[in-house]
Amino acid sequence: MNPAADLASRGEEIVAINGLRKSFGAIEVLKGIDISVKRGEVVVVLGPSGSGKSTMLRCVNFLETFEQGAITVNGRPVGYKTTGGVRKPVSELENARLREHVGMVFQSYNLFPHRTVLQNVMMGPVKVKGMNAAKARDLAMRLLGKVGMDHKADAYPGRLSGGQQQRVAIARALAMEPSVMLFDEVTSALDPELVGEVLKVMRELAEEGMTMIVVTHEMGFARSVADRVIFMDGGVVVEAGPPADIMANPKTDRFRGFLSRHLSEDG
Amino acid sequence: MFPVLQSSLPYLLQGAVYTIVLSAIVVVFGTILGVGVGVLAAVGGKALRAAVTAYIFVFRGIPVLVVMFLGFYSFPAMGLRLDAYTAVAVSMIVYVAAFVAEATRGAIAAVPAGQLEAAKSLGMRKGMMMREIILPQAMRLLIAPVLNISLMAIKQTSYASIVGAWELSFAAREVVERTLAAFQIFLGVMIIYFVICYPLSLAARALEKRLAFDH
Repeated sequence: MNPAADLASRGEEIVAINGLRKSFGAIEVLKGIDISVKRGEVVVVLGPSGSGKSTMLRCVNFLETFEQGAITVNGRPVGYKTTGGVRKPVSELENARLREHVGMVFQSYNLFPHRTVLQNVMMGPVKVKGMNAAKARDLAMRLLGKVGMDHKADAYPGRLSGGQQQRVAIARALAMEPSVMLFDEVTSALDPELVGEVLKVMRELAEEGMTMIVVTHEMGFARSVADRVIFMDGGVVVEAGPPADIMANPKTDRFRGFLSRHLSEDG
Repeated sequence: MFPVLQSSLPYLLQGAVYTIVLSAIVVVFGTILGVGVGVLAAVGGKALRAAVTAYIFVFRGIPVLVVMFLGFYSFPAMGLRLDAYTAVAVSMIVYVAAFVAEATRGAIAAVPAGQLEAAKSLGMRKGMMMREIILPQAMRLLIAPVLNISLMAIKQTSYASIVGAWELSFAAREVVERTLAAFQIFLGVMIIYFVICYPLSLAARALEKRLAFDH
């Protein structure tokens, strides 16, 4: 494990999820989730499809609304504010401001196809933060170098492989200098031989002390990079703890079954 | 060959100039108005959206000929003295804009949801998202439908003669009434319309290539 995370275990709380409940129509997909993530911590969320893990993640930057519970990032409320016992949605503008501090990487990359790689990475700092173009270009080139994509700075996303696009997407999110990075099954759409290059970038980020919440099916990554693994199933947190403990000695049948099903594809 | 067509060609070409000018005005302003209305509907509130929907559905459901008649006779009723050309141009701009607005709405809706989520998660505000992410991508999707609508509009200017606006088709009918050489004349007219429309198709294709994302 990395030293930054050891320090962080006593560090300040970046993301706090309390009693999160969410339904799609009549189906409740999140049934009361509590998760706290401290600065520098890498939390990996495992669980079968439909367990609600992606939905939970998308609530953190309010891409999904939720009916009950509260989420804060850096102590600021996400989506709703409760004043005098009344829960009210916060303004669009406040949500946008909050998202500036929450980086997100998607399963389907979602790079902007009409902009070059460099422009994709510069867009956040220049348009949202108002950083001047020269400074943003330096920042973007540095981040592209870090993810090994500086040689493609002037290419359009359509010309890149999935793994390359995903690395650019990571650089784009990092360019906002977020407090926390959310990874939503970022290797699930990739050809198997491209998964490694993306995981390597994420591993390096973790070693640098970036606060991360990672939803994934990569057991190897969870085991070797996570400070804490959370296993979700049926909209609740079933088990949580350091990977060395809970992945070696699962306490519940559900987690044991899940692990044994995924052992064969372990990296 | 085709002696009547040859002798009346200058007269027909003169009509073609009117057709081209009328078409250009209708296509340019109809497209601008239509895109504007379509974008407004996308960013605006419920009431605005409902109004735009009503506008689109009404105009899609009536023939352009009827719109021209209505325009021609209703402007004077409102105390506006417009000549036939202006009446036709205004009517057709409003008509064309309805189709362009619907196409614009479709193009905006066709930008993948993931693009919006990516823009949002960078902290982009609504207007910025529209300007930087949605519209640039929607505009490319809009070229093909707007080309279709424009070609339609060019050909629909031939109805303008119904309210007395002289253009290519009007000129052709005059020549035919005088010479009775309908086949020759309309063969010539057909070729002239094609020559007007064809370059537009080429231009749209070139534009689509230029706006492709993977140069």
